Amino acid sequence: MALLEIDNLSAFYGRAQSLHNVSFNVGKGEIVAVIGTNGAGKSTLMDSIMGMVKNTGAIRLEGQDLIGFDSSEIVKRGVGYAPERAHLFPFMTVEDNLLVGGYTARDDIGRNLAHVHELFPVLKQRATQETATQSGGERQMVSVGRALMTSPRLLLVDEPTIGLSPKVCSEIAATLKRLNEEDGLTILITEQNINFAMSLATRVHVLETGHLRISGTPQELAADDALNKAYFGG
Amino acid sequence: MSQILIQGLLLSGLYALIAIGFTLIFSVGRVLNLAYGAYLMLGGYAYFWVVQTMHMPKLLGILVAIGVGVLAGLLKHRLIVKPLKSDPVAVEIATLILAVVIQAGVVLVFNDSAKIMHPIVNGVWRVGGATVTYNILTATIASWVILIGLYYFVRKTHVGRAISAVSMDVKGAAISGINPDRINMITWGLSGALGAIAGVFFASYTQLSPSMWVAPLIIAVAVVIVGGIGSIIGTLIVAHIIGFMEIISTTLVAAELRGVFTMLLIIVVLVMMPKGLFGRGEL
Repeated sequence: MALLEIDNLSAFYGRAQSLHNVSFNVGKGEIVAVIGTNGAGKSTLMDSIMGMVKNTGAIRLEGQDLIGFDSSEIVKRGVGYAPERAHLFPFMTVEDNLLVGGYTARDDIGRNLAHVHELFPVLKQRATQETATQSGGERQMVSVGRALMTSPRLLLVDEPTIGLSPKVCSEIAATLKRLNEEDGLTILITEQNINFAMSLATRVHVLETGHLRISGTPQELAADDALNKAYFGG
Repeated sequence: MSQILIQGLLLSGLYALIAIGFTLIFSVGRVLNLAYGAYLMLGGYAYFWVVQTMHMPKLLGILVAIGVGVLAGLLKHRLIVKPLKSDPVAVEIATLILAVVIQAGVVLVFNDSAKIMHPIVNGVWRVGGATVTYNILTATIASWVILIGLYYFVRKTHVGRAISAVSMDVKGAAISGINPDRINMITWGLSGALGAIAGVFFASYTQLSPSMWVAPLIIAVAVVIVGGIGSIIGTLIVAHIIGFMEIISTTLVAAELRGVFTMLLIIVVLVMMPKGLFGRGEL
């Protein structure tokens, strides 16, 4: 059984519909990427999984429907989320931001914090710094770290590379790969940065104005002329 | 001079306690709870009823006052704030009306004459030419103990950090597994408790009357506006600015001006520094 099943998912903001019957699965231990341009519905998809948007259709985690539950319950069930623009607590220290992430997984706080420090040693050095004064790359690390503090079985990462330098992007990519390979963590990423997504994911879906257009392995998609034309101008 | 220094310190501690529950709600829910002064009134009258009408122990009076404050806060959240989806203007209008309704209720039950509350602690301390009642000294020490306790609660406990997290980024808090609505409810209850206990001390320092909710509300509004979005440390600093300003103006200028400078300060800060002295979203 897939860890995450998304079945005929539509999303609505008032009368506006921003996802149209989207369906795909994420298998246990996979890294799946959803790529698309601005406004394609990538963040809406992630927010839908977290119970923050009005939806129809089904979102199942290990067969259990998530729709109708609030975010705190979804976090408890094992979904960690590093959203676009991080949504950190700006006037709290790095350490306190991470500790807030441990709100539901209190028994694992010591182990999770040690693991986050091992993945991102700079966060240990900056433990007492307020996140408002951090660089974009470090803030992204705190965001992923905070999501890991929830002891997730599924990690959602929304546009982790936005506004970051290539060096920081490759560091983030290496960490996500390590989480997947060493810890067996299942990861769903959304990206505009296609190279980043293709280098990490085992399967890639292309989202366009709320519709899932093309799906395949990175190799299949790289061979797709229409996709190359649309995204690489080739 | 020492009189001004001592009275200023004592009054400021009490003002900080008065303001902190109001600041808490403003930080977390981004609404001005204009019925906040009514918590103080309810707390004061609850204590008065238990201790001076029913002749029960003072400690029980304080506990009943806290209980009434918590209940008032929780009811206000459930019946007003939640249905209005924390719309600031609607909540502010509704809470202001509620304060007037509670005032009418107090008049109905206790009549409209002012009541003198016996000191919570009897006795006087003379220090360096100044006279300090044990009552106000107790109020100040209790204020400091409560504020320090609250500071550590917010910094060091899961629920405290969650309150702080919701005050800074609701979405960030929600995806950390915090239920913002539940934290809002806890904050309203906590604010009610803080208001009620401040009310017991405030009433023992001044007197009980059905209009006693107005002065502490102005102090609380001043602290939030002058301090910016509320931090506990910021609240303490601004409470001291306002407390000392009041003591200096009433001692050296004219006693009739009590409160006037505080209100003028609100206007000056609103015009000159709309974000307040410490305008940031910290708690």
